[in-house]
Amino acid sequence: MKPSVKSILLGSACAVAALSFAHSAQAWTLQQAAAPYKGETVTVVGLDRPSYKAAQKLTPEFEKETGIHVKWVIYPYENTLKAETLNFVSHSGQFDAILSDVVWPVDFTKANWVTPIKDFMANKDLADPDIDIKDFFPVWRHAFTIKGELVGLPFDSYAGLLYYNKKILKEHGFSSPPTTWDQLLTVYAPKMYDPSKNLYPYALQSARGETQTADSFTRFLWPWGGRYFDAATKKITLDSPDAIKGEAFRQKLIKFGPKGIIADDHSQVVQLMGQGQVAMVTEWSAFYPTLIASKAGPDIGVTTEPAGPKGQYSAFGGFAYMVSAQVPKKTQDATWLFIQWLTSKSMAKPLLENGAVVARASADTDSALQAKFPYLAPMVTTWEHGSVPDWRPQIACYPYFSELVSEYGSDIETGQYTVPAGMKKLTGKLQHYMNSTGCWNSVNVPKH
Amino acid sequence: MTDPTSPEVRLPRLRKWEPWFFVGPSLILLLAVGLYPTIFVAYFSFHSWTMGMGPPVFSGFENYVETLTSSDFIDSLLRTFIFLIVTLPIELFLGLSIALALDQTRNAWLRRLVQILLVVPIATTPSVVGMLVQLMFNTQLGVVNYGLHVLGIGPVDWLGNAHAALGMVMMTQIWEWTPFVALVLSASLATVPQDIEEAITLETESFWARLRYIKLPFLRPGLVASIVFQTIFTIKTFDMIYSIEKGGPGDATQMIALHIERIAFRGFDVGLASAESVLTLIVTIVLAQSVVTFLYKDEV
Repeated sequence: MKPSVKSILLGSACAVAALSFAHSAQAWTLQQAAAPYKGETVTVVGLDRPSYKAAQKLTPEFEKETGIHVKWVIYPYENTLKAETLNFVSHSGQFDAILSDVVWPVDFTKANWVTPIKDFMANKDLADPDIDIKDFFPVWRHAFTIKGELVGLPFDSYAGLLYYNKKILKEHGFSSPPTTWDQLLTVYAPKMYDPSKNLYPYALQSARGETQTADSFTRFLWPWGGRYFDAATKKITLDSPDAIKGEAFRQKLIKFGPKGIIADDHSQVVQLMGQGQVAMVTEWSAFYPTLIASKAGPDIGVTTEPAGPKGQYSAFGGFAYMVSAQVPKKTQDATWLFIQWLTSKSMAKPLLENGAVVARASADTDSALQAKFPYLAPMVTTWEHGSVPDWRPQIACYPYFSELVSEYGSDIETGQYTVPAGMKKLTGKLQHYMNSTGCWNSVNVPKH
Repeated sequence: MTDPTSPEVRLPRLRKWEPWFFVGPSLILLLAVGLYPTIFVAYFSFHSWTMGMGPPVFSGFENYVETLTSSDFIDSLLRTFIFLIVTLPIELFLGLSIALALDQTRNAWLRRLVQILLVVPIATTPSVVGMLVQLMFNTQLGVVNYGLHVLGIGPVDWLGNAHAALGMVMMTQIWEWTPFVALVLSASLATVPQDIEEAITLETESFWARLRYIKLPFLRPGLVASIVFQTIFTIKTFDMIYSIEKGGPGDATQMIALHIERIAFRGFDVGLASAESVLTLIVTIVLAQSVVTFLYKDEV
């Protein structure tokens, strides 16, 4: 039977379609995408934290596959924004992969210091078809979305969690940790507080700086209905009754904590818990490996932070990588390939295995990984239901805003001001600062 | 007529420039690392510029007016003066005592050992000193409170109370810089001629008389140097305090250097921070010059 012209054409079309599909499916490999950039050096900003140690450990795999050399520059958190800002202002081109805290993206995007992610995503030679942006938890996508556009790829992502010592709880008649802050204060704390035995129910890291702002002050704001400001009316709202109630609760709670907590940072409270002097701490998910390795490690349990009267709003923090707009195009492309690889779905598991925390749902919800890393389940719950992307304000002048919160927050905590007086003073200071710097124009209100 | 290219003519010309060959490199370095940043800061103090929020704009004396009317700046400056007024006399007293004790010591080996030990606090990086203090004096985990606990005392809240925190920072400053004063004064005492010292010893046995009439005149240059340097060092103190308290609790230990760093690298307000730096520099120079003028007033 002689084939008809129609069937020949149809067959040819199918063959072409199949071939081109096969080509496009095969076409993108990291190795091929990186071929034009072989020999390039990418300088990446990192922190002295577990996620970056894991990333550094795995980086040789990327270098081997691509021929791109990766140079890590590690900073303590406190110096990172300063170093990156000076890099941009002086046009030094020192860094290619820019690390942005969840409270800094406005700083970088407003000044056009970073290249929009969409530029790379639109380039078929550079964008991994399997990048699956939707695999990042929505709260993380929203946190790094400015004016409707994703500006960074999340990495080293945290949730505030409640770590508790099962043994101490059991000895005091509790089979499970508290689910609300009120329970912690009125039921758990009085039973466990025993300074004569050097035992405290709860320790709240409160050192001046970002620790005071994020870990101490803000933690008691959202769950009581308090907010930093109302962007629509350009008013600081820290003197609202809800905000005052939250901070007044903090004052009651710290009475059950160890002395000198106002000067203690993460490392000290983790150490106190690790030595069995403290029954509960609220800390970032990244501290799980440290606590498990401590003396109290076998007794450590982990769950979501307690809820307040207005719901659960756990601490939310972490970072994303962006590409510097001040380096040559070729270096930008090579940088994109690196950050795309580092934050990819396929790297999430090896990173977790090496001590990092990532915001990839495919890995964090994996039952085998959740069984191996017990902090993953409460972390996922927090990101899905228990926090907001602007838990700390997203404004261009956040660093100094935070400094003021930290100064007055710590004054309130030491009792130098009563809570209402301190909150009123802080409100006035922040209002003046926001008005005088014109910072209201930089407020980013992400989708919840 | 003398040939201008002859060695007899060229050598005196070269000799004329000779000092510049020696001084030149240091001078260039000094201008590059000292003068240029100062001019840069002075220039920006007349500009309104927040990093990342547009280019610098000339603003006249606006930053100076804001600085002089800022309660944060004034409070930090006053706190720094209190810090200086408390620590400097103690450093001078202790430093002089150590220097005199060393001067009395006949055992050269012991004197050498003490002099070496005195260098340790000065040579230790201030941020490391701060970290050590924070670890040692931590209320729950520190070795000091542990020692007190063994003796049945405490725990003492060394770092969590505003007054105690300021006291701790002062104590650390004194620990770190007293050896500097001791070494400078020790060097001054070494310039007292042996024959004069022997003569006065025959004249009187009074320690105070020997100190007042023989040693003090020789100590004066060392005292001036110590006071001037310590005034400058104290006003500049940053890293030690930052690593202990970061200026907290509240603003209890926020000295002027920490305040300026906060404006410059938290608020990124380069204009305002520059104006504050210029004013602080002026205050420091005036203070140092006043000390020199006061201590040498009888020689003017």
